[in-house]
Amino acid sequence: MTAAQAPVPQAASAVAPVAVDRPPADGLAGLGTMVRLVVRRNRVRLTVWFVVIVGLFAYVGDYYKGLFTTQQALDDFAKLSDTPGIKALTGLAAAPATLGGAVWTKIWMTCALTLALGVVFLVTRNGRADEELGRSELLRSRMLGLHAYSVASWLVTTVLCVAIGLFVALASVGLGLDPAGAGTTGSWVVGASVTGIGLFGVGVGALAGQVASTSRGANSLASIIIVACYVLRLVGDLGNGTLTWVSPIGWGQQMAPWGGNRWWPFALLVALTAVLLAVAWVAEARRDHGAGLLPQPAGKADAPQRYATPLGLAVRLQRGPIIGWTLAVVLSALLLGSVVKQMTDLLADAGANVSTIMHGTGVAALLGLMAGLIALIVAVFAIQSATQLRADEASGILEPQLAGALSRSRWALERLLIPTVGGAALLALGGGLLGIGYGATIGDASQGPRIAGAALTYWPAVMVLTGLAVLMFGYLPRVAIPVTWGVVAAVWIVMLIGDALHLPGWVLEVLPFSATPILPAERMTWTPLIIMTAAAAILTWAGLARFTRRDVQPG
Amino acid sequence: MPSSELAVEVEGLQKRFGQVTALRGLDLRVPVGQVTGFLGPNGSGKTTTIRILLGLLRADGGKATLLGGDPWIDAVRLHRSIAYVPGDVTLWPNLTGGEAIDILCRLSGPLEGDRKKLMLERFDLDPSKKARTYSKGNRQKVALVAALASRAPLLLLDEPTSGLDPIMEAAFTKSIREVKAEGRSVLLSSHIFAEVERLADRVAIIREGVTVESGSIAELRHLTRTQVTVLLDGGADGLTALPGVHDVATSDGHVTFAVDDDQLPAVLTAVARLNPRSLVANPPSLEELFLRHYRDELAALGNGAEK
Repeated sequence: MTAAQAPVPQAASAVAPVAVDRPPADGLAGLGTMVRLVVRRNRVRLTVWFVVIVGLFAYVGDYYKGLFTTQQALDDFAKLSDTPGIKALTGLAAAPATLGGAVWTKIWMTCALTLALGVVFLVTRNGRADEELGRSELLRSRMLGLHAYSVASWLVTTVLCVAIGLFVALASVGLGLDPAGAGTTGSWVVGASVTGIGLFGVGVGALAGQVASTSRGANSLASIIIVACYVLRLVGDLGNGTLTWVSPIGWGQQMAPWGGNRWWPFALLVALTAVLLAVAWVAEARRDHGAGLLPQPAGKADAPQRYATPLGLAVRLQRGPIIGWTLAVVLSALLLGSVVKQMTDLLADAGANVSTIMHGTGVAALLGLMAGLIALIVAVFAIQSATQLRADEASGILEPQLAGALSRSRWALERLLIPTVGGAALLALGGGLLGIGYGATIGDASQGPRIAGAALTYWPAVMVLTGLAVLMFGYLPRVAIPVTWGVVAAVWIVMLIGDALHLPGWVLEVLPFSATPILPAERMTWTPLIIMTAAAAILTWAGLARFTRRDVQPG
Repeated sequence: MPSSELAVEVEGLQKRFGQVTALRGLDLRVPVGQVTGFLGPNGSGKTTTIRILLGLLRADGGKATLLGGDPWIDAVRLHRSIAYVPGDVTLWPNLTGGEAIDILCRLSGPLEGDRKKLMLERFDLDPSKKARTYSKGNRQKVALVAALASRAPLLLLDEPTSGLDPIMEAAFTKSIREVKAEGRSVLLSSHIFAEVERLADRVAIIREGVTVESGSIAELRHLTRTQVTVLLDGGADGLTALPGVHDVATSDGHVTFAVDDDQLPAVLTAVARLNPRSLVANPPSLEELFLRHYRDELAALGNGAEK
């Protein structure tokens, strides 16, 4: 029988354009293989996130159990914690005068935020990053469903969140953080609240990976959303609490372990995650492979002269992150500045203990703390920009530039102007807006430059971390980016819980952020700033000296 | 050949990556004003050599001279005189092809807008598209346009036509002939024999990081045999015994054999006495030259890939 004699097959109707409107069949084909791939590719990362977060919680729990042996000690700690500063940074535990509550105040926010950001990076790594690099194209050419790879990474990160929550709960039960006779409900609620924030991170990461068309864009977008949620709850915790309820991170707080022991905010978090994942699913089915949701318009056929300089090109390439981080700094500064006034009333009631915690009393200490928070955002911006040195080398895009008449040191130094000058500008901008926001409430225009100066004292600290990134780039190019972020995270964790780690005082004092004088509460001291600036210069010089002598190593 | 007439001079070049030795004493000469083909299979060290010449990698031993300078120390100065096309082109995904061309051109010298336009037209490239939407061939075109729009005295081309269609390969051939006519030098790394045979004056064949053959194509042909096919009514008796004749095979009166080039006149005289009705003689192709140096690898493939 020849083809001409065959009856017209039913499938011919599939040629009709209406077929494109239907979702592809078997969207999950190959899911099992993809789950194994995701686990295999990320086994080190999954283990590290698990050990760090569960370990942090268990370590602080164990330490506090040894520290607070009497109810009197817990009462004192609760009183000490009930300050605007602590409320701003971590929120106050629902039951601050219990052992579990003390541990929650100290470490819950760190664990929850670390998990949320960690899963965002994991989801991007397996989703948008692979798509951008063309790896998933090869996979998709096989019998692999449209959603299989994404869903596999969502599943694996969800399991990570559940496992971390479970072991946080088990650690809590094991350490006996629950008050005597109260059962173990509080422990299970605290575990679930960590899991819930992690799941929110999975949802945000999944959606960001569909909207942005680059992995850097996806990570930035998702991080900014999570930071925004943190700032929302910060303002809410300092005010009447309304904004806390707007932020999913606030929902996690409001599960109130050892206090209200509420389960229903967990259901809210799960529902929100489900909605985010569903939107991501639909978006993935509607867009083209390799594209974001936003269409790509035609660009210019010619480049302006300035793109031929490393700085001009880098400013163009990092335009998105620069705008994004500037917005983050501006919004944070305006939000923080607007609540200072409200808090002065709270401060009036606070006891003498506040001064020791906040390095001084009153508004000055609070402003200093907020300037430090802005400096932290700026530090992340500067390090992200500095790690682009290695990212460009790894992608191979550096080679054609160095094949031109461009020296390695000039290329790197011009690129480093962005974290160096940009970091200073963002510090001044954030500090200035914070001061202006506060000054407006008390009718004092001089606050702007005053707080801008306070924020600028963090510039040497930001530069030390940037110099560290350059040193890693020079000496350990292949692992520079994860090692740099790992060191920054370690510095941050040591600052948060250094006392619990039994580290000698001088170690804590010497860390870049602690070594910076907290203006306007403390007296200005130039020595640490000069030392840190010199250290930053030496780190940068050493990294660049090595880079100009080693092979260019594409990833 | 005096050094001043060499655009590239490499002697005994060595490079190790950890346990792996990529180059073990490689030699390469690119005379000024000529196109030098650089042949070798994947992984033989072509790209490593070019990256050393660009000052991206540091040699572990041996000597490399580029336009009279040291490629590592004088990298920036030398790169004003170089145009480079990588084999695997990476571009800034969120910039357009046109922007990338301008950036690359200005990094080596002034941008000549009319030359850029000419090359864009010749290679039929839309410069207003974002690089992430380009196919491999189009990314390759971006690098080619950027290199060919410059007036650099030396072009380093690493498998420059990979991913190009035959029409674009013709445009490439035309461009390289223009470059040569202007007295500029080209190092053309490739594993496409026809391309090198068409364009190159000289060839260096490398294998596992060592140069196994180099010279002008004419010189190399003397090292091998001419393939002859004759139509003989009377059979090939007597040919087999002649000195310099190899691999005689007969089918339907067509006799094919290979002749050492120095014995060619004597053999042709003997063939003439056999009254051939037709005679075809082919010079050895570059491919045959190349395969000769990889014979043992082919033998390892088995199944009579080589006799």
